[in-house]
Amino acid sequence: MAGLSFDNHQRNQFLQSQHNVSVKTTSTGTTIVGIKFDNGVVIAADTRSTQGPIVADKNCEKLHRMSPKIWCAGAGTAADTEAVTQLIGSKLELQQLYSKREPRVVSSLQMLKQHLFKYQGHLGAYLIVAGVDPTGAHLFSCQAHGSTDVGYYQSLGSGSLAAMAVLESEFKMNMTKEEAIKLAADAIEAGIWNDLGSGSNVDICVMEIGKDAELLRNYRTPNVREIKEKSYKFARGTTGILRTEIISEVEIDTSV
Amino acid sequence: MSPQHGSQPIQHQFNPYSDNGGTLLGIAGEDFAILASDTRQSVDYSINTRLSHKIKVISPPVTKEMKLESTDIVGTKNSVLFGTNGFSADGDALTKAFEENWKWYVHDQNSNVETGFEFLNENNEEKESFMSMQSAARNVQHLLYGKRFFPYYVHTILAGLDEEGKGCVYSFDPVGSYEREQCRVGGAGASLIMPFLDNQVNFKNQYIPGTNSTERRKIEYLSLDECLKLVKDAFTSVTERHITVGDGLEIFIIDKNGVRSEYHALKKD
Amino acid sequence: MFLTRSEYDRGVSTFSPEGRLFQVEYSSEAIKLGSTAIGIATSEGIVLGVEKRITSTLLVPESIEKIMEIDSHIGCAMSGLTADARSMVEHARVSAVSHNLYFDEPMAIESLTQSVCDLALRFGEGASGEEERLMSRPFGVALLIGGFDKLKGYQLYHAEPSGTFYQFKAKAIGSGSEGAQSELQNIYRNDLTLIEAEKIVLKILKQVMEEKLDSTNAQLCTITKESGYKVFNEEETKKIVDIIYEEDEEEKKRQEQEEQDEEDEDEDEDEDEDMN
Repeated sequence: MAGLSFDNHQRNQFLQSQHNVSVKTTSTGTTIVGIKFDNGVVIAADTRSTQGPIVADKNCEKLHRMSPKIWCAGAGTAADTEAVTQLIGSKLELQQLYSKREPRVVSSLQMLKQHLFKYQGHLGAYLIVAGVDPTGAHLFSCQAHGSTDVGYYQSLGSGSLAAMAVLESEFKMNMTKEEAIKLAADAIEAGIWNDLGSGSNVDICVMEIGKDAELLRNYRTPNVREIKEKSYKFARGTTGILRTEIISEVEIDTSV
Repeated sequence: MSPQHGSQPIQHQFNPYSDNGGTLLGIAGEDFAILASDTRQSVDYSINTRLSHKIKVISPPVTKEMKLESTDIVGTKNSVLFGTNGFSADGDALTKAFEENWKWYVHDQNSNVETGFEFLNENNEEKESFMSMQSAARNVQHLLYGKRFFPYYVHTILAGLDEEGKGCVYSFDPVGSYEREQCRVGGAGASLIMPFLDNQVNFKNQYIPGTNSTERRKIEYLSLDECLKLVKDAFTSVTERHITVGDGLEIFIIDKNGVRSEYHALKKD
Repeated sequence: MFLTRSEYDRGVSTFSPEGRLFQVEYSSEAIKLGSTAIGIATSEGIVLGVEKRITSTLLVPESIEKIMEIDSHIGCAMSGLTADARSMVEHARVSAVSHNLYFDEPMAIESLTQSVCDLALRFGEGASGEEERLMSRPFGVALLIGGFDKLKGYQLYHAEPSGTFYQFKAKAIGSGSEGAQSELQNIYRNDLTLIEAEKIVLKILKQVMEEKLDSTNAQLCTITKESGYKVFNEEETKKIVDIIYEEDEEEKKRQEQEEQDEEDEDEDEDEDEDMN
């Protein structure tokens, strides 16, 4: 069973038109950025995931590995960004085994955009693709409909405007690795503070030419929760037992 | 793909309302009441301001003598703490409308040509009359119901002291249905905090250990200190899980000495 | 005042050169023609009393209504053109009920009185002709409004057709008001009981009425904190009227006795002189 199943599409459309209900997807609300520096590329993301106005996960991972040195920051529908990066990731691995060559960032980008275009925007994946390969360091962005962009700095997600404001004012060509990391983290922080869809911590992945990619999980944690005023431990027995039932263990014979 | 595309015409409409997020919370104690709210005002994913005021202290003038007793007094014991949450423009309009009614009421009540003869009114200590919480609540109902078919898009909570000096909280739906309660949360965090308060203030779902859920834990008044702890924990917790709540926490406390206010920072992400 | 009568007494909104509004002054004259009404405020409650002029033996006394309920805690007595009072009472009732609806509490007596007086002053509205006119002339009736509220306790107000009002401990209006008011001034004490006040009202009415006081040609009501507005029925009135007549009877006897005694003393003195 390859590809996606649209079996329930018609039913869901009908239910939506009749009852005004829709499937709620987990969105990575999100601020993501990517920046090129003198000897590589860095990508960064916040760690908040939301379902409507509710924070679903305070410390999720939005940085996905497609190959050891090609990473992807994802915004949009969490399931789509995860599925699509995994799918392309496994394709890259197969291709690597087949061709005995390191995967290239442009290949992964091509595969991503062709896949996304095929689904006409129904896969809500907005990605920043970055990595190093034998041809050098690369940074791209990719929209859900399949269009792609090239640039020295990129930002995507609901906090992209806040992040881009920082990038536009602070970006320089040929920054050092440290400068690039700081700028990426600052840009993500702008999203964390000023965009309600983004929050919690900063994750960073540095991909430097000639080195292993380095994931700096929770590089910054500016939103540690303060301790509560009060303990909410209940005395044992506060919740009474209404009914007790003991179910005995059943051995299932698996031999034929 | 969606049925609206191409096949059907799309009807556009002006939407006069917006949701400005935030949370409002009131708790009534034995001889005090608390009204608290976060100070963030947002629309969609943007923050309009990190320091908005959703609660207005509607108070008779605070005298110099009262200020001498404690410098942080912002209202008298006759104040009405008026909080709105939802569409903040409507909240501001409602607050203004009520404030005007309150002023007119006080003016009418005290516009005496001559004070009443004291011997005819032996048990009355008050020289001036201000709007009781009961009257304020009824008045707010009429303000809200007056716009029944173009409602003020707000959840309103009033806090103050009743005529016996007991803490009281009144809460309203957008078209004026109201009720006096021990505690109430309105706005974005309502569904997250209300069950917590039910459990911690009214001891819902708590039984006396050893009685095997046959005897409920008896309700008792919480101290001011205990209530403030609950309020702070409620707000720091809802800030964690609701994107429109945060930035700051403004707490107003009314008791026999008057109204005090506290501010605590909340997370800004 | 009638000496200066001139063209200036036509319009209700025209001042005379001396700064008077004749129509308003005349309206006060109409009240002086009315039957007497008395009100007393005590620390136990308010008493209102009116004289009913039974102009014919065929007239049904119960059909004369000069004391009316405004709300369960407010009552009023009237003197003058009582037909005018109907629209004032109507207005007062609407005010009281509205206040209760909007504020979930009984209306303050002073606020109610103010509201009635606001209406009384509207005789001038539209007098210049353009807009629609509400009234053609000032009211020809004065009200005694009494009641209890939590703000100032028991209060009695006198509302005039001019739109002004004053608070009183005791007040009489109508044809017998001059005599009645001076009598109230003599009798009034701050520690009067409600029972005493009821009797005083009827006693003074008896003094100033042309007809002989009985249980049908006078009517009383009380307003108390506990039971609110209460009108006396004929029986209840009769009880007090009877007591008053009994006391009068006793007083008469006592006076006669005194006179007798004095005469006796005089005789004794004469005798003494004779002795000498």
